Amino acid sequence: MLRKIATIASVCVIGALLFAGSAAAEEKVIKIGALFPLTGPSAVSGQNCLNSVLAAAEVINNAHTDINVPLASAAGLLDGYKIVIVKADHQGKPDVAKSEAERLYNQEGVFAIIGSYNSSATKPASAVAERAKKLFLCGASSSAALTERDYKYFFRHAPTDAIESEEFTDYITYLNKEKNSGIKTLGLIYENTEFGKHAADEAKKAAKKIGLEVIADVPFNNGATNLSSEVQTLKAANPDAVFGAALGGDYSLWVRTMKQVNWLPRIAINFCTGYQNPAVQKELAGDGDYFMGGMGFSPELAKNFMPEALKVQERFYKPLAKQEFDSDSLQEAVMLLVLGQAIEKAGAVDTEKVREVLSTATFASPLSLSGEVAFQAGGQNVKALSVITQIKDLKYNTIYPKRFQDSEPMFPMTPWDKR
Amino acid sequence: MMSSFLQVLLDGLLNGLVYALVAAGLSMIWGVMDVINFAHGEFLMVGMYVSYWIGFFLNVDPLYSWIAAGIFLFILGAVTYKLIIKNSLGKSAMAPLLATFGLSMVLKNFCMNRFTPNFRLLQGTLMEGKTIAVGGAILSVPQLATALFALVVLGVLYWMLKKTRLGWAIQATAMDSEAAELMGIKTENIYLLVFGIGGACVGITGGLMTSYLAVYPEVGSLFSLIAFVVVALGGFGSIPGALLAAILIGLVESFSGFYIAAVVKYVAVFAVYIAVILVRPRGLFGW
Amino acid sequence: MNTKKISSRIWCLFLAGAFLLPFIPGGVGNSFHGHVLTMILLYASMAQAWNIISGYCGQTSFGHAVFFGIGAYGAAMAVVQYNSLPWFGAPLGALAAALVSVLISAPFFRLKGHYFAIATFAIVEIFNRLFMIWDTVGGALGLDYPILDDGWVNFSWSSDKNGYYLGALFLFVLIFGIVRWIESHRMGYYLRAVREGQETAESLGVNSSFVKLSAMALSAGLAGLCGAFFAQYNYRVDPPMVMSLDMSMKFVLITILGGLGTFWGPLLGAAVLIPLQEYTRAYLAHLGSGVDLIIFGLIIIFTMIRQPTGIMGLIRRFVLRNEDSAARDGEK
Repeated sequence: MLRKIATIASVCVIGALLFAGSAAAEEKVIKIGALFPLTGPSAVSGQNCLNSVLAAAEVINNAHTDINVPLASAAGLLDGYKIVIVKADHQGKPDVAKSEAERLYNQEGVFAIIGSYNSSATKPASAVAERAKKLFLCGASSSAALTERDYKYFFRHAPTDAIESEEFTDYITYLNKEKNSGIKTLGLIYENTEFGKHAADEAKKAAKKIGLEVIADVPFNNGATNLSSEVQTLKAANPDAVFGAALGGDYSLWVRTMKQVNWLPRIAINFCTGYQNPAVQKELAGDGDYFMGGMGFSPELAKNFMPEALKVQERFYKPLAKQEFDSDSLQEAVMLLVLGQAIEKAGAVDTEKVREVLSTATFASPLSLSGEVAFQAGGQNVKALSVITQIKDLKYNTIYPKRFQDSEPMFPMTPWDKR
Repeated sequence: MMSSFLQVLLDGLLNGLVYALVAAGLSMIWGVMDVINFAHGEFLMVGMYVSYWIGFFLNVDPLYSWIAAGIFLFILGAVTYKLIIKNSLGKSAMAPLLATFGLSMVLKNFCMNRFTPNFRLLQGTLMEGKTIAVGGAILSVPQLATALFALVVLGVLYWMLKKTRLGWAIQATAMDSEAAELMGIKTENIYLLVFGIGGACVGITGGLMTSYLAVYPEVGSLFSLIAFVVVALGGFGSIPGALLAAILIGLVESFSGFYIAAVVKYVAVFAVYIAVILVRPRGLFGW
Repeated sequence: MNTKKISSRIWCLFLAGAFLLPFIPGGVGNSFHGHVLTMILLYASMAQAWNIISGYCGQTSFGHAVFFGIGAYGAAMAVVQYNSLPWFGAPLGALAAALVSVLISAPFFRLKGHYFAIATFAIVEIFNRLFMIWDTVGGALGLDYPILDDGWVNFSWSSDKNGYYLGALFLFVLIFGIVRWIESHRMGYYLRAVREGQETAESLGVNSSFVKLSAMALSAGLAGLCGAFFAQYNYRVDPPMVMSLDMSMKFVLITILGGLGTFWGPLLGAAVLIPLQEYTRAYLAHLGSGVDLIIFGLIIIFTMIRQPTGIMGLIRRFVLRNEDSAARDGEK
């Protein structure tokens, strides 16, 4: 018995030494933490986000003269610094996010963290950063509260749910004016989590502004075994438009359930949900057609406005993720590239200098729809742009705003029995 | 209005029947061995994956692949008994429960590791998208098929327990395992069989569910909880109890979801459970 | 040798060492092991609180996440919504937790065995979902802490963990001290009497209902205090963080791994499980493959099969075996 304990103990000690011993040799590296939900309910998106950051690191670290993205043509940053990504998993839990952020900054000594997808995890992780006076860059988290905290070290790329809601209602106003569509009532279906609830609150505010009446408010428990009651409630209220916030599996369940009860609103627009995930749409096939959503990226959009993103996708992202970019995870890559540019501009791997640059400069960003990134006080990217797309035959067609439009909107949604 | 009512009623009934089949195996296991299988929802998830992968690679419809799922889960149940339950029974009341909790973590994360967390939905299945109109309500054929299967399997199970010698042996072991052993019943084999059958039941359900539900590693969690509540509500060891309780739960979920608010439908389910259990501490049919 | 004396000596040595640690450079500071040590103390305290009702009194509750959560919300609401101090919110939260526990348990205690366990699951689910839609406590959005000045007044630190560590240590001493007191006073005997056989205890004049409810209230209130600490430590609270079945299972697993119904069990369980959980996640989770959780699950299975009486059970067997052989040697 004692011998067994001794053996196990020595194995553990040797293992620990091996781990510790892999301390970096004297190289010029900049360690950047990537904190995402690699396991747990958001694991699909979390892993996509991580792969996105890894793809961006690859772009920076090696010389790729044929890619017209800042930092691609040189190898590394400044005079030969390589980016090393330190991965961490917060499992979708805010308390784990908090302690992982601390571990990344204090133990791993990362210069900055890119993360964390779930707004409920980004909040405490960035609170750690702010208190420690370290940089935290956020790509996809959409809660408006993140940039309303007056933080100095937090920067976020994505348009907030507030901005998205206004775009959705702008589109409805446009439809009503240009196409005489007569959309007067709105239904909301959303997962009852920090993300969904926040999106719904913003939607209600935006709807109020244009006099759109909310006649159905349907939160649901994510991971539910069925969405029958939820869809029944929507059907009974029969709103003209529906805004949705349902991730992955719940999204396809929602679509299929609506098909089963043979009901559709005349128009359905989604916040960042399963709609934007090409893998989910592939599984839904034709059932997903005619739904709409806000996106900062789609393969079709990229062909016209972000061709470099497609190059990065084909050469570095697809081999890792086995799927195309989705508009959420792409933003994490953008943030790493922006950070790299800020470091170059600051001329040193110095937090205060880089922070100064991040707060004041405008960055060229070929992977962003607007082509540029610039942050206002509090950290919100004022150049954040998303368009409304509509999916048909697995293609995302951009229909609003007009300057990005590549197809006519198909309005109203074709009812199930006519497909 | 009437068609809404009918729709809600029928939805609740169908969901309830599906819960019944998931819970039936759990009820037997609890009745015979006094063990709560914490990994029951994960068994369901594994059954769904079996059926999904068979459908994906071999193009076999869930209407047939449920057989494979059932067999796979029978084996998984038996192995779980042999390796885990047998060695933790009798040591403490909590040991098997916590051991199966550990198993649920292992199964969930193993599937996540092997199959990625992506949601997977079969396309082009035989029953996909088909619906039947009943009165003013629309029923989804895949769900209807699963519910009818559930009824049949439950019926077969009940018949087996009441009318066959094996069933009597199982009941005897449940009532008093020492006496049963003295009467020549190999209780060890009974336990193995019961865990296997319990697994098979939930495997069959999972196999059929891939015709309308997306599978992902966490899909079993809520089903686990509902199964526990159904079994406790029906009274452990009672198949009719499980059926009745499951239908009740399905109806409560459906009606509260529509007439109160969808987001509280599970609050209502658990609240109803607590209300009943306080009045009848051993469930509706428990002994 | 007198085991009680050994136990007391170990206790004193341990406490002395624990108190001195933050004052040694690199002892706690801002290190990862400082975080792990703080978590060990916190979870040991939580497990010991649970031990009161489930170990000593024999009523296995899976609902402690609710009381933990109520305490957490008490502290968080005070700081976030009332601009006040957690020193007011935490005791209120703990009191509320104790009250809720009595209201729930009174009718539940007549349930037997697994029925009781499942009922406590149902309670966690109900509270979780209710808190998710209850906007007054923040609902699904949760409550986020503003940036506060470091210090004991706000019970919040960012520069290092020494304050949190000492706070967890005080919590630990409080809860373990209470249990030590219970063990050697009448209350302890009543608890054990009810655990061993309720009818027998009643026939001897023990008011089992009162005993169970008091134990539950105490257990819940202390769990609530731990929850308040958790909220202060993480700068945030929302229903899935605190009122989840996962959290409830932590109370259960740590105590059972250490040894249900024993004094040292909760500490031993935490000292093994927490570093395991934290270090496997730190070193393996980035692989994104859930390997750390698979390992965790396997360890739980293994323990339940081979050693369900936990670490204390192992120690007892070891000690007994030595005493046996010593006795035998003495006989020769």
